[in-house]
Amino acid sequence: MTLIGDLVEILGPDRVLSEPLERYLYGTDGGVARGEVIVVVLPETAGEVSDVVKAAKRHGSPIVPRGAGTGLAGGAAPAVPSVVVSLTNMKDIEIDLGNRTAWVGPGVINLDLSKLTRSSGFHFAPDPSSQSACTIGGNVANNSGGPHCLAEGTTTSHVLAVEIVTADGEIVLLGGPAPDPIGLDLRSVVVGSEGLLGIITRALVKLTPNPLAVRTILAGFATMEDAVATSSGIVARGVVPAALEIMDQKMTRAVENFVGAGFPIDAGAILLAEVAGHPAAVEAEARLVEQVANENHVTSLRVAADEVERAKLWLGRKSAFGAVAQLAPDYYLHDTVVPRTQLVATMQKIYEIAERHGVLMLNVFHAGDGNLHPLVAFDASVEGQLDIVHAAMEEVAKVCIEAGGALSGEHGIGLEKRDLMPLLYNEADLDAQARLREAFDPDGLFNPQKVLPAGSRCADLGRPIPTGAWL
Amino acid sequence: MGWVTDHAPTGAELNACVRCGLCLPECPTFRLTGKESFSPRGRLMAMSAVADGVVEVDESFAGIMDSCLQCRACEVVCPSLVPFGRAMEGARAELAAQMPSRTRAARHLLVGRVLGSPGLLRMATLAVKVGQKVGVGRVLPSLLRRGFAGIRPITPVAVEPGSTYRAVGERIGRAGFLTGCVMDVWFSDVHAASIAMLQRAGYDVVVPATQTCCGALAAHDGDVKDTQRLAERNVVAFANVDVVAVDSAGCGAHLKDYEHWAGQAGELFSKRVFDITELIDQAIASGRIPKSSVDRGPVAVQDPCHLRHVQRIVDAPRNIVRAAGYSPVEIDPDGRCCGAAGMYSLLQPELSRQLGAAKADQVRQSHANVVASANPGCEMQLRSHLGKGYEIVHPVELLWRAVQEDDR
Repeated sequence: MTLIGDLVEILGPDRVLSEPLERYLYGTDGGVARGEVIVVVLPETAGEVSDVVKAAKRHGSPIVPRGAGTGLAGGAAPAVPSVVVSLTNMKDIEIDLGNRTAWVGPGVINLDLSKLTRSSGFHFAPDPSSQSACTIGGNVANNSGGPHCLAEGTTTSHVLAVEIVTADGEIVLLGGPAPDPIGLDLRSVVVGSEGLLGIITRALVKLTPNPLAVRTILAGFATMEDAVATSSGIVARGVVPAALEIMDQKMTRAVENFVGAGFPIDAGAILLAEVAGHPAAVEAEARLVEQVANENHVTSLRVAADEVERAKLWLGRKSAFGAVAQLAPDYYLHDTVVPRTQLVATMQKIYEIAERHGVLMLNVFHAGDGNLHPLVAFDASVEGQLDIVHAAMEEVAKVCIEAGGALSGEHGIGLEKRDLMPLLYNEADLDAQARLREAFDPDGLFNPQKVLPAGSRCADLGRPIPTGAWL
Repeated sequence: MGWVTDHAPTGAELNACVRCGLCLPECPTFRLTGKESFSPRGRLMAMSAVADGVVEVDESFAGIMDSCLQCRACEVVCPSLVPFGRAMEGARAELAAQMPSRTRAARHLLVGRVLGSPGLLRMATLAVKVGQKVGVGRVLPSLLRRGFAGIRPITPVAVEPGSTYRAVGERIGRAGFLTGCVMDVWFSDVHAASIAMLQRAGYDVVVPATQTCCGALAAHDGDVKDTQRLAERNVVAFANVDVVAVDSAGCGAHLKDYEHWAGQAGELFSKRVFDITELIDQAIASGRIPKSSVDRGPVAVQDPCHLRHVQRIVDAPRNIVRAAGYSPVEIDPDGRCCGAAGMYSLLQPELSRQLGAAKADQVRQSHANVVASANPGCEMQLRSHLGKGYEIVHPVELLWRAVQEDDR
């Protein structure tokens, strides 16, 4: 029987999408890459996922798991013609308030979990900007972050166990409710594995108590340097706020145009700082934030008066990427990390790179942990534009790594940063990662050609790859 | 072949989408199916695929467009400000032009001709009226039976074309009243309440005799010519009023969009259009209409999509319900579509039924047995899904009743 015939037998015709146009819609995600889709399936149970994997394996078809398709690194865009497994309909939630945990299906939308637990006083801490749309399965697969991960840690700090379907179609549970299960910590290997090791069919996540008090402060500065100095100054004084976010002027204007939250559009850069916790601590920390802002020539300062105003400010920040469309039809961004002390120098270099390549660069970033999102707005339909953007962004990545940083803070490597991996990892590192992948998926059917550049596995060629061969 | 009409989605409209996906969770049909082809992003990508020559306008494309409710909840959360409703109307216009199949032709006859013709509509009404008398609902096929159950008992038409109703007290302006098509004959109580409250708000209310159907359903269905014809006629009919008052959220949303259908004259016209809840809310705020001090109990407030998502009116119906002495009860923080969506309930019965049932559950959980809804389609959908024991009314009707009771 054909692959599609087998899949229809497992799921029925309504959950197997094989029309050309429907497949086309699954060829891309929130990023710029597009690939070819053989067929899309929408399983609803781990058992169905297992059957789908077995069928695909029988036919030798690669598999790309997909959540809401909000990723920006091409993680869900097939690199080779693949079966796309859409997990959007696996959205069971089982809440255990006693243990402050929840079992969630991979298709549960991040914010839905927090909304559901709000009245009980809890939330799911990782809050990517796409949290109103992205799925927890995707968050686990990419070890996603978000503004509030400065204080709370990224997704991996909030996952106790994952259930995955392996390349053999076996359903296995890694980790468990106990904080430190016996044996190797394979759970932490799967968190952030970007669909290369297995398909996540369930996760046990921690629920975090909602803070007793929150204060959100919006500060405007004449220059990016002042905003960054404020952010670093706050951390240097021993305060780790719930969030510290910076946007440059171009970004702020685009965002304000959509949200109308009163962002100061004349400021060279804005800092959105949030302190949360016990009311007394919040009071003291808010004072300190204001004090450091004043020391760094703050030009405007506003404290969100109520929850409505606070929500509006965050909506603005979290809509930043989408708002770029007001300037150009496409955007390309990197998600690099630099040490906080290198922020000012790195930002200057990034703007210089943009100028040299003649591209429109915008910056919005998690200043507290030095996680940058330098972003170029452009028009991909103009011939040669994408190449220019790629070249500029490669330089940006290099600059960040030279500053002692990392290639990805939270978005993943996917397709977009795969070939930049050798900038950060040497042959032995890449070989070790490729071996790990082989241990889980010897045939390399799960999300092939992602994350690891060609030639990562030295042993394949029987000799070490010369330095620079992947560049 | 690509696009063939002047109304096709434009490059600027489609390029405005960067595929961030923030629209997905707001889309009722994506929530139900989990499929990209049932999401705003997927629909825009399908339109782009036609524009880029990747696919043709065919059955597969039509299916993806047809599943859209046009509730426009996606527009509210779109940071890229994609004019999704406009693009979808453009796609529907292309479907009408490129696939004039039999069902489409029949639909155009309904939305373009019958709704614009009082004579034909009266015949349809008569049939409904007779049906209600003889209890025909029981013998109808289930789909029609549900639609039938949503219709109010038909009462005599309250508003005569060409009439003028004088302001009560100080006069603040002249309001032209849109009687609409369905509202005119099937919801005359809402008209009576709206006109009475407009008079109390200080408006002389005129009912231009030459007005016609707003054209919303024709526009949603891609019927460009009829939409333009109806729009142009209304622009002329309402030339001599200060404000155009509309008591159907769907009609008001479309009238506010006339710039796309009647050019500059349409744009100027749009600026004078107000939903009845806006005008009455203003009158309450300025003290021209008193707030009742009687406690009349809870009322569940249902937000019609074309009021909340398109006209962005949220507070006004609640303020009106409050002024009538009721306490508004929230049923849905997300304001998701009830599944009525114009003719959607007839064209996509299964999706519509699921959304209607979910909305009815939200009402039941509120423990209110009166529901305020400012749109006739939603009202019918709610009535047919809630069944006996619930009253579904326009918020302005509640206020008019309270005013009359308090006057006594």
